Amino acid sequence: MVNLSIIDKLKRSKILDLLQEGKRIDDRALDEHRPLVIDTGVIPHANGSARVRLGDTEIVSGIKVQPDRPFPDMGDKGIFICTAEILPLAHPSAETGPPQPDVIELARVVDRGIRESGMIDLSQFVLEKDKSVIGLFADCVVTDHDGNLFDACSYAAVAAIITSKIPKWEMKDDIPVLMENQESDAPITTIPISVTMGRIGEFIIVDPNIDEWGCLDARITITTNSDGNIVALQKGGSDGFTLEQLVKCSELSITIGKKIREIVKQATEGGQ
Amino acid sequence: MKKFESKKRYVLPGDFITTAPLRLQNNVVLEGKRVIATSIGLSDVSADSVRVIPLTGVYLPKIDDLVIGTIQYIFGNSWFADINSCYQGMLLGQDVFGRGSYPTTSEMKERLDTGDIIFAKIANSDRQREPLISIADQSLGKIDSGELVKISPTKIPRLIGKHGSMIQTIEASTNATITVGQNGLIVVSCDETNGLLKALTAIRMVDEQAHLVNLTDKVKKMLESNGV
Amino acid sequence: MGGRDTDVVLLDENGIRSDGRKVNETRKVTIKAGVLKNASGSAYIEFGGNKILAGVFGPRDVHPKHMSNPDTGILRVRYHMEPFSVDERKKPAPSRREIEISKVIKEALEPAVMLEKFPRTAVDVYLEVLQADGGTRCAALDAASVALADAGIPMRDLVCSCAAGKAADALILDVNNEEDQAGQADMPIGYMPNLGKITLLQLDGVLTADEYKKCIELGLEGCKQVYEIQKNALREKYFSSGDNN
Repeated sequence: MVNLSIIDKLKRSKILDLLQEGKRIDDRALDEHRPLVIDTGVIPHANGSARVRLGDTEIVSGIKVQPDRPFPDMGDKGIFICTAEILPLAHPSAETGPPQPDVIELARVVDRGIRESGMIDLSQFVLEKDKSVIGLFADCVVTDHDGNLFDACSYAAVAAIITSKIPKWEMKDDIPVLMENQESDAPITTIPISVTMGRIGEFIIVDPNIDEWGCLDARITITTNSDGNIVALQKGGSDGFTLEQLVKCSELSITIGKKIREIVKQATEGGQ
Repeated sequence: MKKFESKKRYVLPGDFITTAPLRLQNNVVLEGKRVIATSIGLSDVSADSVRVIPLTGVYLPKIDDLVIGTIQYIFGNSWFADINSCYQGMLLGQDVFGRGSYPTTSEMKERLDTGDIIFAKIANSDRQREPLISIADQSLGKIDSGELVKISPTKIPRLIGKHGSMIQTIEASTNATITVGQNGLIVVSCDETNGLLKALTAIRMVDEQAHLVNLTDKVKKMLESNGV
Repeated sequence: MGGRDTDVVLLDENGIRSDGRKVNETRKVTIKAGVLKNASGSAYIEFGGNKILAGVFGPRDVHPKHMSNPDTGILRVRYHMEPFSVDERKKPAPSRREIEISKVIKEALEPAVMLEKFPRTAVDVYLEVLQADGGTRCAALDAASVALADAGIPMRDLVCSCAAGKAADALILDVNNEEDQAGQADMPIGYMPNLGKITLLQLDGVLTADEYKKCIELGLEGCKQVYEIQKNALREKYFSSGDNN
């Protein structure tokens, strides 16, 4: 569990005062995200990889593709699993040991955002129906925690998936055999982009940094696909949103999602 | 016998400094006859002693040091504060409410609550338990406003300067009030935004360049210029 | 030739290894100090194809309290491999191998760190293997030393590390992944050059008494080369753009 709750009072009151003037402690506008840097191919031995810096938050995501058995009721689809882990070196309060609820939520929200969008055409991952399929694992690790792990992990996984190379297997005597040097691009149908927003009082801020995160009344992560439709969302935090605020958040997630999608496309050019 | 090196030298842990029989001060260790550095820093050999001035490292509480802390929680009759060290500072309820008093938790919360920032003195530090801190002095107590900044505790002596020269230069030039904790925490208040920005920049410069020779001039130059 | 059957030629007739190196050559090593914002000290190392991140916190409070030592700070090390770091995806939970390596690295660092000034605290060293390519524990130990110095933990010396071994009947320096799988011996070594103390030593494989001594000597040569790279990484962060050197 990462305990961010003890934020000093001076900083909290500064954050609140600045919001009244429409400003934030790092000089951003309320609907502005931090500088986003995406590098791909950082783990050459993996099937795909990306490192994302969102402000000072840093995530590394690696893709492993290997043959697997399909889920019992989905014999005509490959497997996609996305995990996320906060490494103990990412923050002084990050602990070792089995994942705590906040990390489990992080992993599941990132996974759902990508899965529900249908980003990967899993029907192309079948080697032999009901027997053998291709499994794609996207594992994200947080190496530096400065707030908003939801978006940073999602961008890292998405960029890694887009630029990953899928090996070719052929069934021989019921066993998948690797065909060397016959890799192909991942079958991508859309690019899901998540946008996380927080509410402090009546103000909605996009991409809260770690100081703002400690002051949030509530937060919401909304994922949109390349068509501008909403494919997944998750509300978190101990307070709520009004309907108006939720509508505003959805609008922000679409416009900002579009901008970030362009950044992801540029960073993954040549990969897809 | 190795001759004395009066010039300061950059050293890393494990680096040899001298073999002269000298009194060992901070961040050095004797291996056989050799004095070895144990920290990244500047070796300082004088006529009768040797030490390394560290460039990195955690703050270790020393009695009478002035520090800035953040209240973490209340337990028993004491507040416990994060003083940017490997130990928490313990502030007795009696220090605030008077000797022999037994304040209730809600009375204590009213005076100082979680997240409050205090300017305190290290009253006792014996390594056997948490260091005791005190805010009994006039100039100490809760800090209500300003910006809290953290730099490496090893750079604080440079920020203060000889007889306070550096800190006074910054305050005079910016009209800011700067409260400096030996533990690397600093609170800056200033009515003018520009003054505040300059003071923060000066502090940042010291944190990054404390070991360089012409730092004072560079800081003065920045303070006198129009921008940062 | 010894070891497992392999198509790979571990050592050709010109004394060149499968990756083009000579028998007494290490792979390329780069180290950067101070790469993380939150950790008190950190380092990133690339040792051949190994990519490892080291983060240090402390000295800091120990929980649970009964694990703390009233006379001195304690050192805790966690060596961990990411799921995507190896050929076949590894499950995130710590394996027995990782737990053993964590212990071995801790015991390699303990003679170097001086924690008597910090009773009842702990120094935590976290080593994350992002990509593995043979010799991860050596590379991780190299990064750990730099991260500890970066955090300002008092140390008698940096601990440097490199493996030596035997493949195709020849003693080789810095065993890579292929040589580890198909070779005859792998010996990771951790060393404090200032004190001449070897603080990490393990052996996988078979060596004669004479080979054993020569193998350690060869390994120490590699360790000393890495020692210079570790020092330069720290010099670059702390002493560069300084006129006092």
